[in-house]
Parts: sequence; structure tokens; C-alpha cells
Amino acid sequence: MSGLELVGLHIAVPDGEHTRILLDGVDLSVAAGEVVVLTGSSGSGKSSLLAVAGLLRRPAAGDVLVGGTSTEHLSERRRTLLRKQHIGIVYQSANLIPSLTAREQLELVAHVNGVKRRVARDRAAQLLTSVGLVHRLDALPGQLSGGERQRVGIARALMSEPSVLLADEPTASLDPDLAADIAALIADEAHRRELATIIVTHDDAPGRHADRTLHLAAGALTERPPVAS
Amino acid sequence: MFLALRDLHRSWRRFVLVGTVVALVAVLSTVLAGLADGLVRDGTSGLRALPYSDLAMQPGSQAVFSRSTLGPRALAAWEGVPGARVSPVGVSFVNAASTTKAPSIDLALFGVPADSFLVRRPDARAALAGRPGLVLSSELAKQGVRVGDRFRVGGSDVALPVLGFTFAGSYGHVPIAFTSLPAWQSIAFGSDARGRFSAVALDLPGHVDAAAVNQRAGTELKSKRASYDGSPGFTAESLTMTLIRGFLLVISGLIVGAFFTVLTVQRTRQIGLLKAMGASSGYVIRDGLGQMTLVVLGATTVGAAIGVGLITLLEGGAAPVALQASSVLGSATLLVVAGIVGSMVPFRRITKVEPAIALGVEA
Repeated sequence: MSGLELVGLHIAVPDGEHTRILLDGVDLSVAAGEVVVLTGSSGSGKSSLLAVAGLLRRPAAGDVLVGGTSTEHLSERRRTLLRKQHIGIVYQSANLIPSLTAREQLELVAHVNGVKRRVARDRAAQLLTSVGLVHRLDALPGQLSGGERQRVGIARALMSEPSVLLADEPTASLDPDLAADIAALIADEAHRRELATIIVTHDDAPGRHADRTLHLAAGALTERPPVAS
Repeated sequence: MFLALRDLHRSWRRFVLVGTVVALVAVLSTVLAGLADGLVRDGTSGLRALPYSDLAMQPGSQAVFSRSTLGPRALAAWEGVPGARVSPVGVSFVNAASTTKAPSIDLALFGVPADSFLVRRPDARAALAGRPGLVLSSELAKQGVRVGDRFRVGGSDVALPVLGFTFAGSYGHVPIAFTSLPAWQSIAFGSDARGRFSAVALDLPGHVDAAAVNQRAGTELKSKRASYDGSPGFTAESLTMTLIRGFLLVISGLIVGAFFTVLTVQRTRQIGLLKAMGASSGYVIRDGLGQMTLVVLGATTVGAAIGVGLITLLEGGAAPVALQASSVLGSATLLVVAGIVGSMVPFRRITKVEPAIALGVEA
């Protein structure tokens, strides 16, 4: 069964006096453990597609199936529950909370989900260790490098043990070497944990680890040849 | 409060400004509470010091002594109540012009019989039982008045000597002087007193059918607390202070609301992130409300402590301030409540933040 399916998605946004169509009947199926890289120019609708796939917003038309469950007619509460349990999101520039340490960034996810503190602390330490930050558990975002911040962001996305991983420009503002490391880390975690993964990017780095690369333009997805690793 | 507590601990600088403003409001509110208590004390300390439970006054006098005149019939009716201690009392404001070197003074002149239960000190009773004279509030001694100084009271031809001093307090912000009831009647009515006085001071036992006695006596009963309302300026002062404190509370609530709104706007993306993680609006609101409650509580405590310090410094000086724990606590509690109510201003804004904003996508 597909980990994530987007069926006939339509998204349009107001553009002055007109309406601009971002997604025009987009279909996409991402299997568990598959890494799909999505490229496209600025404003093409990549982030909007990610927001819809992450159940952060509803499309004008179409459906999102998470683990085979249709979300089209679900209440907002059920969608939120599904998101909490099944979807992890990695944000551009990590989007960490300045007053929380690396470990607490992850514990916050557990706190929101009502997980016991002790369990949360252990799991957070375990995840941060797995992304190479065992020595930075108590560091605040301001004390972390760009690459370290993004690693925390990846670990945080994995905190709720999701089945779907969505990453929005995870390598933006990183130098090429760091970008390659981060892209490799996301792909490794996705393959190891069998996560249906979509990475939205402008960079080449994630494409080298993709099982498929898609390009979004004029509201439609087209397949691109894989980037040589 | 997971995020709120850590935010307060590690990003405390963000809360310094709102905390300082709330603390300053708390200082002002506490000092105003002290001033209100001080004004009340200054206006009614004389009545508070007297050991009566009720005053019987002329109906419709609204506890104002100058509007109340009673006679022997009213006194006799109340003296008939078993177990009650009863005393006629005459009260008027007079100017006392010194015939010696002492300064002229304004007095709230209380005329009472020498054996009245209102006069508790034996030496004061003895003084009032002798030749006509004045027993003055002890604070007048600090103004240079001495025993033996003589004063023409209320334009009278007779100069009364100062017989002594006692803690008499003040009434309507004017120092109290005691004199014998006949002397007061002479000053107030001349030779036509006909046994008249202002009110009957009562120390009533429980379960007295006051309505029946009132009817017989042709009086209106005022409790001790209600009798303060007749003190000149008491109601206006109390209302003014209450109004100022009310405005302060509203201002404080608005300030906290404005600051919390700004903080909420600054945190919009963070709120979106929390919601993207699955946090409900309720979770975010509880976190923010808890945070502001702690800020307001801490700032109010600091401000109230500073206010108490200021009142302590001012007490005994020219400004009529008084330190009362209940007032300070009440004032601080109201301030905290106003702050919490103010924190609710941006609730709607919080509920409207969409989780997609975490991705920089407007819903």
C-alpha cells in the first residue's frame, strides 16, 4: 500500500485581479521507503503542495491519502490527529524555537502528543544521537551551526515515529558539503525507517539521493531523469 | 507550560518591558490603596476609636452629625433598652481661637457626659467632670498646644482651657476635641439648648429589636461602619480613590493585552509550527496564558513590595497613608486578575493562526 497518495489536487491562489492555478489535478503516489524529490521555480506551488500533503491546508479539490486513509471528508480534528501520528515535517532553516535546547525541541513534539516526559527524553536523546548530535543535546539553536540545526529539525520530524516525511528546502542556506550531508541523512532515515518522503528543493544535493525526481511547473508534475550521484 | 516556562527562563529579556510596566502599575496601585486607607483613617479615626456599636440619629440625616438633632425623648427611649450602654453625643466643627500664644486651630468638637461609656480613661472622665475645658487629640500637642492654653471656641465669649490630651484621632480630617456635653450645648445652642445633642451613641447587646426602639425614639439607627459615611468628604474621597484604582486596573489590563498581542504577532510562525506539530489552539492559549500569568504575578509581587516600602516610608508624614495588608493583597489580586483578563485579548488571533504558516504558506 502506498504511504502517501495525492489524488487530483487543485490549488488556486488569488493573484491581483486574477486567480493563479498552482496545482491543476496533480496526482502523486509515494510508496513507503521511497524518496521523491520535487523541484520547481519559486512560486510554482511546491510549498503549497507540501502543505496539502502534510494536511496543513485543504486543497480546493482532490484528496490526500495517508497510509491508505482518505482525508478529504475528515474533520479538522481528525486531520490534526492523523498529522500528529503519521506525518513529520522538516522545515527550511530548521525553524527551531530559540528558547529550547536541541533535546527540548524534540520533547516539545512529545509534550504536544501527550507522551510521558521520561519516554520523550530518552527517545529525543536516541534520535539526536542517530543524527550525530549526541554531544549537542543541551545546546540552544543559537549555539548550533546551520547543519546542526537542520539535523535537529530532521530528528524532530522523526520524533512522532511518522510514516510520511516531508521536507521543505532542507538544504537551503547550507554550503554544498553540508547540503550533501543533510540530503544524505534524510534519504538514509527515509529508507531505513520506510518513510514515504517528499523533499522540496532548489538544490541538486537531495536529487542525488532520490528514487524519483519530479518537476512542478504550470500546475503539473513531470518526471525528470535521476541526478547522477 | 512546557514552552512557556523555558521561554521565560531563557528569553526573559522579552518580558522585561511588560513586567516593568505592570510592576510600576502595581507600585502606583499599592500606594493608592495606602492613600485610600490613609484618607479613610484620617477622616474617621476618631469614630473608629470610640467604643460604640451603633449611632441613633435623626431620620434622614444620612449619618451627618450637623443634620441630626435629638432630644431627651430619644435618649430616654434608648436608655430603656436592657443591657445597652447609651450616651448622648454632640458633634460640631468649630474654630478655636487662642487667647494665649498657642496657634488657632480647627476642631471637631465632641460633647459627651463625663460618665459616658465613650470616655474610657479615668483621668479624662475626671477632667470632663470638673470645670468646662477641652481634652484635645494628642497630635495637637505636636503643633505646640499646651495644657493650660485657652481657646475661644466657635466665637464664644468664654475661653476654655486645655485640660489634657488623649488619643482622640480625627473626624473629617480635623482633630477631635472632647468637652463636657453641657459645654458643647452651650457652644452649639447658647442658652437655649433644651437638652439637645446630635446623636445617641450605643453599645447594644445582641438581639435588640432596634426597629421598635427606633420607632419609640423617633431615630434612625446607623451601624458604626455606616456612621463613617457621614464624615465630611468620606464618600467623595472613597469614590474618587475607587475610580482611580478602577482606571488603573483597566489600564493595566489593556497594557498586558497590548503586550501579549505584540508577542503573539511576533510568535505567529512559532504558533503555526506548534499547530503543525498537532497542538490545538487550546494548547497554545494555555501555554501563553500561563506565561503571562506568571509575568503579571511576578511583576505585581515586586511592584506591590515596592509600594509597601513606599507606604512605610510615607507613613507618619504629611501624606495620609496607611498600610493595610488586606488592601495591599486585594489591590494586587485585582491587578493580577486584570492582567489575566488582558491576556485574553489575542486569543482570537491565536485561534486564527493556520499551521501552514509554519511552511511560509498562507492558507
